Amino acid sequence: MASVDLSVQLAGLRLQSPILVASGTFGYGTEYADLVDVSSLGALVTKAVTLEPREGNPPPRICETPAGMLNAIGLQNPGVEAFIAEKLPALREFGVPVIVNIAGADTEEYLRVAERLGSAEGVAALELNVSCPNVKAGGMHCGVREDLLAEVVSAVRPVWPRPLITKLSPNVTDIAALARAAVEAGSDALSLINTLLGMAIDVERRRPVLANVTGGLSGPAIRPVAVRMIWEVARAVSVPLIGMGGIMTGRDALEFILAGATAIAVGTANFVNPDTVAEVRKGLEDYCRRHGIMRIADLVGAAQQSGRQT
Amino acid sequence: MTTSRRATVVAREQVTPLHSRLRLRAPEIAQQAQPGQFVHLRVTQAWDPLLRRPFSVMLADPRGGVIDLLVQVVGRGSEILAAAAPGQSFDLLGPLGTPFPLPPAGSQVILVAGGVGVAPLIFLADALANAPQEYEITGLFGARTASLLCCWLELASRCQEFLAVTEDGSIGEQGLVSEALARRLSAPFPGRRVVYACGPEAMLAAVGRLAAQQPVEAYVSMERWMGCGVGACLGCVVPSALPEGERYLRVCTDGPVFPASAIDWEARSA
Ligand SMILES: Cc1cc2nc3c(=O)[nH]c(=O)nc-3n(C[C@H](O)[C@H](O)[C@H](O)COP(=O)(O)OP(=O)(O)OC[C@H]3O[C@@H](n4cnc5c(N)ncnc54)[C@H](O)[C@@H]3O)c2cc1C
Ligand SMILES: Cc1cc2nc3c(=O)[nH]c(=O)nc-3n(C[C@H](O)[C@H](O)[C@H](O)COP(=O)(O)O)c2cc1C
Ligand code: FES
Repeated sequence: MASVDLSVQLAGLRLQSPILVASGTFGYGTEYADLVDVSSLGALVTKAVTLEPREGNPPPRICETPAGMLNAIGLQNPGVEAFIAEKLPALREFGVPVIVNIAGADTEEYLRVAERLGSAEGVAALELNVSCPNVKAGGMHCGVREDLLAEVVSAVRPVWPRPLITKLSPNVTDIAALARAAVEAGSDALSLINTLLGMAIDVERRRPVLANVTGGLSGPAIRPVAVRMIWEVARAVSVPLIGMGGIMTGRDALEFILAGATAIAVGTANFVNPDTVAEVRKGLEDYCRRHGIMRIADLVGAAQQSGRQT
Repeated sequence: MTTSRRATVVAREQVTPLHSRLRLRAPEIAQQAQPGQFVHLRVTQAWDPLLRRPFSVMLADPRGGVIDLLVQVVGRGSEILAAAAPGQSFDLLGPLGTPFPLPPAGSQVILVAGGVGVAPLIFLADALANAPQEYEITGLFGARTASLLCCWLELASRCQEFLAVTEDGSIGEQGLVSEALARRLSAPFPGRRVVYACGPEAMLAAVGRLAAQQPVEAYVSMERWMGCGVGACLGCVVPSALPEGERYLRVCTDGPVFPASAIDWEARSA
């Protein structure tokens, strides 16, 4: 039987597969090298990198919730210099495009991290993590306000010649408006969704479970929210989308692709089942064979043509 | 190398009303596991409970291809696992984590166990008892009450000296196991002394503070909620007291076994 073509084009990058791993859930690749065939990925997305080292939040940092988990890691990372010196060489060895997720406390920090990575070898694209507290905005996430989001994207755009991906926060009223702002400011692609803001209380001890009080919700519990947001953003902009949020199986990945995502990312599922990447791949291939689809790219947004308009 | 495999339960024993001992067929893990390492186990194929649960290897039989786990019921995940019947199978990731470093020959070894924390120390005692070198092994095992001294004979039978300590005095000495340790450490010993501890965090902190005041090496095995179990998510951290390196250490890969002096016991947050 003819093999299914899983390759996709993403803002000028040719990916051998539409399956990525989500930032912060796959470390810097080497952590999973024994368990996952990293070379089969469409691209590897790193944990967020900032200008200086960040120590992150005190523990407890994670807790389980129904079919999901909360995390408040707090951007622990070794800083961009140590990232380039210590992590990037091993990342390049995997032979797949490396997308570096970057974060900053203000626009200046994003700009400087992007500049520094621009002169490093082996970074295929940047993903702007705009769901982190912004100092200038009084700790508000710049991903929740169109003007702040546009400011960050347009600051990074001139110093970063390669594909620029903006990762949207779901903690907003109108995701399409933020998507438009990110694209107008120069994003070549969008990824969504980041985690949903949540919290859990330890009722025996009568206090929040996480030391940070609130955390980001991920896992299968958030999938319907993520699919809806891909659907809305796909209608609002024409750049390629990377869909994520609770993908556990090939079927789940198809929901995102049919809603309009060109690529998808496996996040929390890596923790639960390190075979998820391989199983999603098999699921996509089986589906395509069953439906006589030769190229996965032909399915992108296919549900949008169903006539079920909202 | 870490592997991800399905492992079948071959035997189950109800050790106390709260604890069960499971024997799982896991040949690769049984071959490789060292005392202090753990497995990260999926208690269900469904997505709730979602995350894997970490359990120390209590004993490994490389020739028989089996490992034993000691499971205390504290919540949903451990309840499912503790009730597993022979024939049932689970997804197992392992062996994970940094093992206990073995002591130099001739050392006086003191194993300090609190409750279900006895599990990795049984494996360590087993390795020391079967090692070609000679050790003098003392086991101190504490629990709230006699019925929680799960698998105590597995520890006692591998030690030259053994002491049970219960908070209610229902068996052995009354008090805290860390007090029993303090008394041992105050008796001078000419040779090398190494303490290994696993149990509730308050107990480990007490061990850490004692060790800081004595000419003794101490290692503690820490617990945290875990996401990935392989060092990727940074969810399982403890504060470091080391002058160099990151502020937070990962229990899953930097630990679970740490030199007691590597942990910042005063920063204990929640
Ligand atoms: C390296 C390592 C080795 C371990 N070895 C063993 C072992 O050999 N035997 C054994 O019985 N257990 C062991 N544990 C603990 C075991 O992993 C937990 O008891 C188990 O994951 C709890 O799952 P659950 O679904 O039953 O409980 P949950 O429903 O997840 O939790 C039950 C209760 O315990 C609290 N809780 C659970 N875990 C933590 C935590 N890490 N920090 C703070 N509060 C917590 C929760 O708030 C809740 O109230 C080990 C843990 C680690 C990290
Ligand atoms: C432990 C953890 C750490 C994360 N760290 C980052 C990060 O550093 N940067 C980022 O943009 N997103 C981060 N995320 C969000 C994920 O990349 C992803 O957007 C989200 O978890 C939804 O996907 P999922 O449900 O498949 O996990 C993190 C998620 C988790 C669970
Ligand atoms: S559990 Fe993920 S880093 Fe330790």
